[in-house]
Amino acid sequence: MTGLPVAHSKNGGGSRLNKFSIADLRLSIEKWLGPSIGNRQSAIGNTGVLAVVFFIISSGLSGCAPQSSEPTPLRVWHSLTDREGAFHQLASRYQKETGIAVRFELYAPTDIYEQKVRSAAQIDGLPEIYSVMSGEMRELASFIQAGHVLSLEETMSRNSDAWRSIFFPRALAVNTLRPGNPFNVPPGVYGVPLDVMNVQIFYNKKLLAALGVDPLKGPATWAEFIALGKSAKQQGLIGLVSGWAELWMIDCFASNYAIHLMGMDKVEATYQGEVLYTDSDWLKIFSLFAQLRDSGLLAEGIVSLGNKQAEQLFANERAVFAFNGTWGVNVYKGMNPDLDYGVMMPPPFIHSRPMVTWGGAGASFVVNAKAPRREEAVAFLQWLTAEPQQRQLTEATQNIPANRLAASGLPEKLAAFADDMDATVHPRLFSVQEGPTVIEAFDKGIQSILIGEATPEEIAQHLEQLKRREASLHIP
Amino acid sequence: MHQWAAYSGWHVLCLPVAISCLFPLVWMISSSLKTQQTVFTDYSVLPAHPHFNNYLVAWTQGRFGIYFLNSLFYSAVVVVGIVSLSAITAYAFSRFSFRGSGFLYRVLLSTMLIPIPGSFVALYILLNSLHLIDTGSGGLLPRLGYVLPQINAGLPFGVFILKPFFDKIPKELEESAKVDGCGALGVFWHIMLPLARPALGVVALLTSLSAWNEFLLAYLVFSRHELMPLQRGLLAFHGTHLTDYPLLMAGMVISIVPIVVIYLVMQRNIIQGITAGALKG
Repeated sequence: MTGLPVAHSKNGGGSRLNKFSIADLRLSIEKWLGPSIGNRQSAIGNTGVLAVVFFIISSGLSGCAPQSSEPTPLRVWHSLTDREGAFHQLASRYQKETGIAVRFELYAPTDIYEQKVRSAAQIDGLPEIYSVMSGEMRELASFIQAGHVLSLEETMSRNSDAWRSIFFPRALAVNTLRPGNPFNVPPGVYGVPLDVMNVQIFYNKKLLAALGVDPLKGPATWAEFIALGKSAKQQGLIGLVSGWAELWMIDCFASNYAIHLMGMDKVEATYQGEVLYTDSDWLKIFSLFAQLRDSGLLAEGIVSLGNKQAEQLFANERAVFAFNGTWGVNVYKGMNPDLDYGVMMPPPFIHSRPMVTWGGAGASFVVNAKAPRREEAVAFLQWLTAEPQQRQLTEATQNIPANRLAASGLPEKLAAFADDMDATVHPRLFSVQEGPTVIEAFDKGIQSILIGEATPEEIAQHLEQLKRREASLHIP
Repeated sequence: MHQWAAYSGWHVLCLPVAISCLFPLVWMISSSLKTQQTVFTDYSVLPAHPHFNNYLVAWTQGRFGIYFLNSLFYSAVVVVGIVSLSAITAYAFSRFSFRGSGFLYRVLLSTMLIPIPGSFVALYILLNSLHLIDTGSGGLLPRLGYVLPQINAGLPFGVFILKPFFDKIPKELEESAKVDGCGALGVFWHIMLPLARPALGVVALLTSLSAWNEFLLAYLVFSRHELMPLQRGLLAFHGTHLTDYPLLMAGMVISIVPIVVIYLVMQRNIIQGITAGALKG
């Protein structure tokens, strides 16, 4: 209370706080301001004085909270606010078992979280464990180069790869930098996956049967798939929904078919500038979207459809297909528990070639290399990814665990996704990365095709021009 | 008869505007009484089986108790800070002529163009060097780190509203007070502030709205949930992929109650402030 102005009580008793009244305080403030004007009612009402007192006292009280005697916790930052309860339960268990306190600090939405992480990195203020949200390897690599990410290669390799072997290989691969990577980062594992995901096509069994297709199989080829557009339209149904207002979901769909049609090597060669976007294979990829548009299979206005709206349409049994990720199982269960659906890989364009789908680690953690307690952080992550904890997380969150052992006995729908984990691809797995400007133009170009604003040829030429311009800017 | 027709016509014109303003609120309240399943299938305004329990669940699951008190505290401090500082600053700009005052006033106003999220990294570095970032211990410094940038960000707006208001007050009133022995602060306190009450009400209301709804800065400054404001509680129901709409809506209804109360209490001042030109700038 030392910050309060000294008030003199009416009887001149000085600052006797036990008798300190609002009237005294008002008197002292008025003295400080100068003489009052005639008989005019004082401008300082009791309310005003109370406001000042409230400000001062509350400021003081907020600093008077008793200091906690609990041990300093390991801090974990992530954006998974919907898993808060499960994380807190696990942290409590860990403290009981080891005596080490862990505090999960969750921030959503993701873009705000990213800003916080980048800001904290600039002042070396990152917690012991955090995540680098970007889907691109260059972002993780920049954190590694700045010394903010601990290499887990040695820990993974101990005891004949004991820790490494528990994970789905693809989940670990998206957290691994390979020898000769373009970022000149020492090769090794830098992140620990918590769960895995992939993006496939959900189909409503009842609606599919109404279209005359075996609901146990779904359409087997691309041609069968787009042929359903006409009959869906005739029956007043929406064919395919997906959140294609979000560019990354378009990128998933296109990447799947690009790798399916050309193979990983040719896609990477395009990124390196050795194959042109005007190549006939790329034109086929862009043409798939023109076919989708013309088939009538796509939901109207799909390029302005957010994924949450798309999920709503599928859950309400208005759409036959939904291109969506593993999380959809949980979402549809919440929106419509009685929804009867199946899951299938995107139908192949060429039957003889293997189909792939976008996926890998759902959420991953990295350890702050500059944190004094980094070894404790690694030990916690080892515990968190062990089978019992992974099973607990799966039960609470309905995600596929990153630990393969914990993935046995999953519910049928989640198991369908887990079974296809080996067929997943992810931009982080490429040895070369496409530039962000080209990626954006690629995805927006597809949106233009979908709304009939541009032809596949125009988009291919535009990308090629952009690619050349980007390359010329990088020549020293 | 002609007057009555004009009056009715005006109200008929206003009716769609009023409905379009109220509909989101009605929809929010209606959705807060549904379940996660029925919110997507039942489009009725009054659900057949209202789930009032959603409010209790939202309050406990979203930890609204602590967040609510935090938000009350932050909003009160920010409003008091902005109203008091902007009033005295606006008074100075209005009544004292000093070299460069016009330039300074324009510079101050131009800071309104910089949104807090646009200066996140710089702000984070500054707050950290002042030890005002939450590092897991102590409560006062991080709270200060949260309210000070808000007061700073709200100050230009307050000055922008109040200066023209002070400009309009006749100088004779000020001179009379001086004859009666008032100093500069005395004139400000006894004459200017009471006369500027409608404008102060507008500043207080709009500031309390933005302080109450703020959460981006809270994410930057705080790491412990016990220091977070109310908006953090709403995010418990809004995950990356999964959103619990009924609980989110119930939480939103709870969160708007104080603002609605403030509006109703200060309604007269606000209308006076607006009609007296406080928002003309």
